[in-house]
Amino acid sequence: MAVYRRSRRQRFALVVLILTSITVVTLDFRGDGAVGSLRSGLRDVFAPAQAVVARVFSPVTGAFGGISRYRGLRSENERLRRELDTAKAEALKGADASRERRLLLALGGLDFAGEIRSIPARVVGYAPSNFAVTIEINKGIGHRLAVGMPVVTEAGLVGRITEASWDRSTVLLLTDPASAVGVRLATSGEVGVVKGAGQRRLLPLDLIPVEAELKPGDAVVTSGLDGGLFPPAVPVGRVVMAKVEPGALAQEATIEPTVDFARLELVKVLLWTPRP
Amino acid sequence: MTSDPRFRVPLVVVTSVLIHTAVTSQLRIGDTSPDLLILLPVTAGMVAGRSIGAAMGFGTGMALDLFLTSPFGLSALVYCLLGYLVGAFQGGLVAVSPSVTALAALAASAVGVLLYAASSAVLGQPVAVDRLVTVVGLVSVVNALASPLALRVTRWALVDRSRSRVMA
Repeated sequence: MAVYRRSRRQRFALVVLILTSITVVTLDFRGDGAVGSLRSGLRDVFAPAQAVVARVFSPVTGAFGGISRYRGLRSENERLRRELDTAKAEALKGADASRERRLLLALGGLDFAGEIRSIPARVVGYAPSNFAVTIEINKGIGHRLAVGMPVVTEAGLVGRITEASWDRSTVLLLTDPASAVGVRLATSGEVGVVKGAGQRRLLPLDLIPVEAELKPGDAVVTSGLDGGLFPPAVPVGRVVMAKVEPGALAQEATIEPTVDFARLELVKVLLWTPRP
Repeated sequence: MTSDPRFRVPLVVVTSVLIHTAVTSQLRIGDTSPDLLILLPVTAGMVAGRSIGAAMGFGTGMALDLFLTSPFGLSALVYCLLGYLVGAFQGGLVAVSPSVTALAALAASAVGVLLYAASSAVLGQPVAVDRLVTVVGLVSVVNALASPLALRVTRWALVDRSRSRVMA
C-alpha cells in the first residue's frame, strides 16, 4: 500500500514538472515579454561567471581547437599556396584595376555597408547546443544593438541577432537550418533564397527560375527587397553548382558562403533594422 | 551546510551549466560538440530514482534553456522525462558494474538527443536530420566515458552524509 502511494506521488511530481515545462514553452512561443526579460536578465547575471570559466579553461579549448582543425589547416595551406601562385601571375595584370578599386573604396562607392553605421564585436562563444548554429558576441542592448540587426565581417554576411541582453547577443548564423536569406545574383539580378544547412556545408540556393543564367563563380548578394531582413548588396557567397532537373520549376543550385564560419573572431553589427 | 543536498544540488547544476556553456560546448569535433549536461539527469535517475531524476532534469534543463535560442522550457521538458525514464528503467543498475553504468549512460544519452530532436521538430524548429547520427554517436560515446566521473559528482550532490541517505 505504501509502495503504491509512493509511486502515485512520484507520478504526480512528474506530471507537475511536465506541465510547468509545457506552460513555459507555450508562454515563450506566444512571445510573452516576461519570459524573454527573465531569460535575458538571468543571462546577464551569469555572463561574468561564464567569462571567468571560459578564461580559466581557455588553454584547454585552444589546444583542442588546434588539434581538431589540424587536418583542415594542412589542406587549406596547400590550397592557399596554389592560390598564391595564381595570384602572383595575376598581380601584374590587375595592378591598374586594383588601384582603381582602392580609389573607389576610399570614396565609399563599393563598400557594401554604405552609409549604415556599425559596431564591432568579439565572438565569445558558440551555441551550447548541437541543434543550433549560433554565436555569442560581447555586445548587447547596452551598446545600441537590437534583435534583427545584421552581422557581417569584411567578407560578407554572417547572420542576424536573434536575442539580445544588456551586454551579450546571440547571432543566428547564415548556416543555421532556421536561416533563410533573400538574395540576388550580382550578374543577372535574379532573386532567390539561400537556406542554412549546417556549418561547413554548401548552402542551397532556391527559387532561381530555370531560364536564369547561372554559372559557378557568380556572386550572390542580399536582395534588400522591401520587408527583407537585410540591407541590399551584402555579399553572401559564390555559386558552386547549378543544374536544371527535367520538369523542375527552379534550378538546383548551391553556394559557398564568403565568410569562413569556422574562424569567426571579430564581427561588425550593422545598426540597421528591417523595414516593417 | 556543504553536506546538505539542498545546497549541493544547485551548486552542481549551476557549475555544470557554466562549464557546459563556456567550455565543453566549445570543444568541437567538426561541427558537433559533446553534451555532458545530459549526464546530470541520467546519473540522478540511476542514483536516486525517477522522482529525483526528473527533478534534476527539470532544474538542469531550465538553467540550460537560459543560454539557448530554442523555446524556453524545451530542454527542461526533455531532461525531466529523461531523468524519470532512467530512474524507472535503470535505477539500481549503478551497483552492478561500471561497464553496465557506462552502457546505460550511452543508451540514455542517445535517447536524450533523439528526444530533444523529436520535441524540437514537433514544435516546428528546423532539425538537421542528416547530422543526427553524428550528434547521437559523439554525445553517447563521450558520455559513456565520462559516466564514472558524473556518477561520483551526482552521488556527492545527492547523498546526505549527515543522515547517510540519498535525498528523496
